[in-house]
Amino acid sequence: MSRAALGPALAQAPDTRVESPGYALQLERVSKRYPNGILANAEVSLGIVAGEIHAIVGENGAGKSTALKLMYGLERPDSGSIVIDGTPAVLRSPRDAMRLGIGLVPQHLKLVQSFTVAENITLGNEPCHWGFIRSKADALESVEALCARYGLPVDASRVVGQLAIGVQQRVEILKALRGKPRVLLLDEPTSLLSPQEAEALFESLEALASQGMAIVMVSHKVPEIRQVAKRFTVMRGGRVVAGGIPGDFSDEQLSELIVGQQLPRFDAARKKAERAPLLQVRNLSVRTGAAKPRLADVDLDIAAGEILGIAGVEGSGQSALFEVLCGLRAPTTGLAALDGKAISGAGVRHARESGVAYVPEDRMRVGFAPGLSLAENLFSGDYFKRPQSRRGVIDPQAMALRARRLIARFGIRPADENVSAGMLSGGNIQKAIVAREIDARPGLLLAAQPTRGVDIAAAQELHAAIVALRDSGAAILLSSTDLGELFTLADRIIVLFEGRIVAHFSAERFSQLDIGLAMTGMAIDPRANGLLPALGANRALHGTRAP
Amino acid sequence: MADSAMQGLFWATLIGALLRASTPILLAANGGLVTEACGATNVALEGLLLISAFFGVIGSAYAAIWMPGMGAGFYACLGLCCGLAAALIFSLVLAFLHLELGADLVIAGIGINMLAAGLTIYLMSVLTGDKGSTASLASYALPVLHIPGFATWPIVDVLLNSESRQGHHVLVYAALISCLGVHGLLARTSLGLRLRAIGESREAAIAAGIDVKKSQYLAFAISGLCAGLGGLHLSMGYLAVFQADMSAGRGFLALAAVFLGTRRPLGTVAASFLFGASTVLAAQLGLLAIPSQLVYMIPPFATLAAMAAAGAWRRARSRRTQAIGA
Amino acid sequence: MSEISRVGRDRLSERGNLALVIAIALACGFVLTLLTSAQPLRAFHVLLTGAMPEIRWSAQGIEFSRVGRLATVVEETITLSLLGLAILIGFRARQFSLGADGQFFLAALAATFVSVKLGGIPWLGFPAAMLAALLVGLVFGAIPGVLKAYLSCNEIVTTLMLNVVAVQLYRYVITTGFNEAGAGFLVTPRIPAALLFAPLISGTAITAFLFVVPLAVCVCWFLINRTVIGYEMRVVADNPWFARQAGIPLVRPVILSMALGGAFAGLAGLHVSNALLKQLPVDMSPGIGLEGLVVALLARNDPKIVPIAAFLYAYLKTGAQVMERTTDVPKEMVLVIQACIVLCFAASTLVEFQAGTRLRDLMRRGRRKAASKAGGEHG
Repeated sequence: MSRAALGPALAQAPDTRVESPGYALQLERVSKRYPNGILANAEVSLGIVAGEIHAIVGENGAGKSTALKLMYGLERPDSGSIVIDGTPAVLRSPRDAMRLGIGLVPQHLKLVQSFTVAENITLGNEPCHWGFIRSKADALESVEALCARYGLPVDASRVVGQLAIGVQQRVEILKALRGKPRVLLLDEPTSLLSPQEAEALFESLEALASQGMAIVMVSHKVPEIRQVAKRFTVMRGGRVVAGGIPGDFSDEQLSELIVGQQLPRFDAARKKAERAPLLQVRNLSVRTGAAKPRLADVDLDIAAGEILGIAGVEGSGQSALFEVLCGLRAPTTGLAALDGKAISGAGVRHARESGVAYVPEDRMRVGFAPGLSLAENLFSGDYFKRPQSRRGVIDPQAMALRARRLIARFGIRPADENVSAGMLSGGNIQKAIVAREIDARPGLLLAAQPTRGVDIAAAQELHAAIVALRDSGAAILLSSTDLGELFTLADRIIVLFEGRIVAHFSAERFSQLDIGLAMTGMAIDPRANGLLPALGANRALHGTRAP
Repeated sequence: MADSAMQGLFWATLIGALLRASTPILLAANGGLVTEACGATNVALEGLLLISAFFGVIGSAYAAIWMPGMGAGFYACLGLCCGLAAALIFSLVLAFLHLELGADLVIAGIGINMLAAGLTIYLMSVLTGDKGSTASLASYALPVLHIPGFATWPIVDVLLNSESRQGHHVLVYAALISCLGVHGLLARTSLGLRLRAIGESREAAIAAGIDVKKSQYLAFAISGLCAGLGGLHLSMGYLAVFQADMSAGRGFLALAAVFLGTRRPLGTVAASFLFGASTVLAAQLGLLAIPSQLVYMIPPFATLAAMAAAGAWRRARSRRTQAIGA
Repeated sequence: MSEISRVGRDRLSERGNLALVIAIALACGFVLTLLTSAQPLRAFHVLLTGAMPEIRWSAQGIEFSRVGRLATVVEETITLSLLGLAILIGFRARQFSLGADGQFFLAALAATFVSVKLGGIPWLGFPAAMLAALLVGLVFGAIPGVLKAYLSCNEIVTTLMLNVVAVQLYRYVITTGFNEAGAGFLVTPRIPAALLFAPLISGTAITAFLFVVPLAVCVCWFLINRTVIGYEMRVVADNPWFARQAGIPLVRPVILSMALGGAFAGLAGLHVSNALLKQLPVDMSPGIGLEGLVVALLARNDPKIVPIAAFLYAYLKTGAQVMERTTDVPKEMVLVIQACIVLCFAASTLVEFQAGTRLRDLMRRGRRKAASKAGGEHG
């Protein structure tokens, strides 16, 4: 999308970059400790100049999100001050921030899906007759004016739930722009976007910056930073460790600043051999009556001791595929068989009994029971079998023994099996979930975003555990938006786009460019499937036994 | 000719009875809808009906005792204000417990119901010495609204002015207006939009800068006022007296109506009329020498049947998406 | 029904909190009494001591009189404990089942019916009556469970509706035939003496049922914490999405929790019919189910505390009856106190310190507002 296409108003706008000595927004020695004891920000100082894109870089848990929340009034600092245009300000809530000219585009979209675009954008500030009756016409008008002003066109009368994610994000941006902010904050804006949508976003941001807006972008993707940010700040462990102009730093320097220590590069020790497929999926489709199928005509195999990676923009069918394979959802057509035995369409219990284990993406919501103890969470897979229970009565000793074993093997903290699971940190919860699933010695492990939001050391441990499982002969289906993770672990990668497999790469041919093109539908191979290449894409089912 | 006139009169009378029976349920259900829109289930509708019924009577009776010579209309108005104020206060207490102290809304709602039940009987006993009713107090009823000019068309007259030809009770009109009012509130006003946002996606509402607490307090206040009007219909409608346990489960019928109507105005109104009809049916059957206990079973059975049917219909609908349960 | 339990909420077993909640509720009741009674202090004194026996020293040593009241307290405690456990089981599965009333009524009627009909064969009639009570409670409790699990009908409304149906059915049966001819009022026939529980202390209705209570507590605790069914109930209650994804059945725990609750309520019905009343009046007043709810809340969902909570509540209730007889304060004061207990409990459902933090925050905000009004302080 070129600058000219963004709208006539923008194409004619003069370059009004203001060379201002002062900062539009500043954090001065700000600290924040959360009630659970974590020191998220320690003496953080940084300054944002108007008319520039400023990136805050760091790994998960570095404190970037917290800094952003403090800037927007979602959290209050324990000490230090926030300075806006030279004046210290107290932000008690987002409303204060908005009033003072700060807007936020959150990472997870906060739109009401059943409302129209206009209703979402004017929410909280609705144009009304007589003070309380909404005027739909005025709302539409004001949204259209907003679109024209900033060159971000959307159809204001459409229902948000029916729009693509990239468009929904644009609605979020417009929402933030409505308050005519002088500072725009964006939290991991490209996490949900394809590479091409990200490009379009960067162009819009550059245009906004050229209008004099100060833009703060939080990200952990260095290539992006280099492309779009004029200045940046590196955070690690809650502190600022560096700042300046990205061009002044080399990749190695940046990596060291962000990660902190040189962790050995993880070696997945791929083995190459001809193997018969352990998991076979044929003609799998999930159609829900909506216009686009959630999954269509998926064929794939995974051999024993192999990791198949799935790349794709969120919503391309990964969750539907996982739901079918773990038994949560019956496919509309097609079937899946593990070791010859059908696992699809018969419920979760059947799938689990057949050897399927699942590490869900939304671990906080569906992965565990926060009110129960760690031990009780760890035996949710086989609580009804010996030795965990006999004739309907639970054996607490057996439960505790298994829990202690897993805690020791996976390094879960705190090392107390009776602690309430809700007290564990995100990383430890993920370790517990992975521990539980791997300990079931599955034939197939389904892992969705297994290391998202987990710190580096824990992520490495999880990767090691996954590889160990692979080496023991299991088939692993790994879905991740972190292409680096896929490149490191997977033997083959398939790309899903709009519910279909559109590309298939073996380890030697992994290329970020090719995968990015496939993810956005620009390089579709209509004959692509996930079958084992060594078998000559033979669609016949191998050694299937009747269930 | 006379036959069809008789038929017409019968149906017109029946419609009048239906309106009367449905009024408290409608008002309470509309009140429940408002809080439901922002995600809060108001279980205390029963208690709100009771408390406003009681204080309406007390207010009008004591107004007459303390300010003699002012006229029945004045006392009735004061009773109205007292009843509404009581329901408003109780509703706001519920809101406070939930929003400020984090109380579980269902338990707190049950507590409010218990408080209303206990307090009304206690105060009734203290003030009148009678635990059954306030018959010893002279309280006042709210007026009826007569639509003139139809005396020569009996069927229409009965339809518009009830079988007594005096006019439907003003609160019946209030109930009908509340249906439009609540629908209009939710669909057309900024408060309604905000409430719906809070109910559907609280995060989005907070991100939009909405004062979630204030909006929810308003929702509970409106809910209290609506339910209050419903309670006043009980004790200041045609009878000007408060009896123990006067609400007799109507608040829960209203709650059921909200659920049955899938939390939408049209469905809720339809369900409220359904439950009102079952009450009328029970009364009609009572005249036919069917044992009273069986008759009293009809409204709850109707509720159960309706809820079961609605649940089955919803299940069949979602089954088409082929999700597998446990 | 409610959302996922808040991360970090520990199991609620704050014993100190129990006393605090009762104290606040009593204080509220006292304020009300102050405003409406001519003898508030005396009334409350009677409320708090009315159930105690009078102790006098005489030449023969210590003499007790008015022990009957304490006996009443113990009898009520037994009934309320069982009802409290009934509701507690539902609570642990996140089901706000208020159906204890209906289950209780029908189970009591069933027990009386079987006892009367099989009165001539005690060795058969006795266990048959027990079985009848348990089964009726179980089945009647399962109905809202089925409605909830298969048709997602809100259990608060269904149980309340079923209560009305049950009470009306009870009255219908007694009115239309199952009654004692010649009695001055409508009541079921007397249960033959052979099928009654014998009193442990003469002159009271305290029977061997007293020992059923600790047994019931143990069974309840064991059920919830040590059985597969209990585990499933707790997981489904804590996070139904996790249960679904883990293959834990969603339907079975819901129905079972309500059915088992019904069984306990049935046991309470058996107690009232075969131990306390020996024949059931048509106008037995409903509402004891709600009292069971209060007991369950007071006991903070911990089975071990239920008998203590039941005792406290029965004590107050009996005291209130004495209070009504001897002062000008009606016994409905106890209903107000009961409601205050529920409201106080509702207000402190978070772990104690968190509730305290909220209160502190509220006060801090108030102070800040006052300070900022006074002098432009930022904070």
